[in-house]
Amino acid sequence: MSASKHDQRGEPAAVRFAFTPAAAYVRAARLVAADVASHAGVATGLLDEVRQAVGEACTRAILRHRDCGLDDLVRVEFSIGDRFIAKITDNAQDLRADSEGDHASSPHRNEARSNDHEAIEEDTLSEEITLIVLGGLVEDLVVTGPDREHGTTVTMSWPLPGRSPSADH
Amino acid sequence: MRGTSSDGAPEPELGLELTQVGAYAVVAVTGEIDMYTVQKLREAVRQLIAEGKTRVAIDLTPTDFCDSSGLGLLIGARRRLADAGGALVVVCGNPRIRKLLDMTGLDKVLDVREAVPSE
Repeated sequence: MSASKHDQRGEPAAVRFAFTPAAAYVRAARLVAADVASHAGVATGLLDEVRQAVGEACTRAILRHRDCGLDDLVRVEFSIGDRFIAKITDNAQDLRADSEGDHASSPHRNEARSNDHEAIEEDTLSEEITLIVLGGLVEDLVVTGPDREHGTTVTMSWPLPGRSPSADH
Repeated sequence: MRGTSSDGAPEPELGLELTQVGAYAVVAVTGEIDMYTVQKLREAVRQLIAEGKTRVAIDLTPTDFCDSSGLGLLIGARRRLADAGGALVVVCGNPRIRKLLDMTGLDKVLDVREAVPSE
């Protein structure tokens, strides 16, 4: 955990961690999210939304790493300012921007479960559904990337009672 | 918290209770469905199909949490059961999960009901 770096909205990160892209850690990430949001003062009625949204974003990040055969860490950051901000960043670059096409033909792609076609098919569905859920769930949602050099970052925020709404967008 | 198996690995925090109600094999799901625990539910559906039980009701009413991994499983299970000549019913009296189904439009794709069909 660290508080040294500021996020794009100028707020210091209150909590920052990273985890290997394994399904077992999604639950920990969403529970931490709900706990930090609660301490920050996010309304109790929104905590389930925070928990669900951060879990969805982490699931998406893991699936993106898995698709690219990446073992890189998924990064999670929570900031507390005028709003509670959650950022989830993956390292899965834009495969279509890779003219060599190396990633798409990577031997690591879904290697661990190459014989479980049902699981891979359902994971693909899940990855698409994560964005639908996030779009329906989170009012302030921004997804940036991917490009040739970077993965995507999902940034979400929720209001904090008594704080100025000036941090909106 | 999750328990641990004999090799120290964390066990999925998901409970499945299988019963038969009329023509339907009912899988009542307790705990949390996410990308870690969903494999257990996927295996249960596979097992039912292997046993020739292709009319399946997945009961999410007692489920504490469900994310897109669970929704992906429901879509996949619906197709596999239909391919096997059966059908999937999703039983959901849980408002949070019902909201998720409505939000994604899956309430129109899946056969979502308040209770297991009695026929």
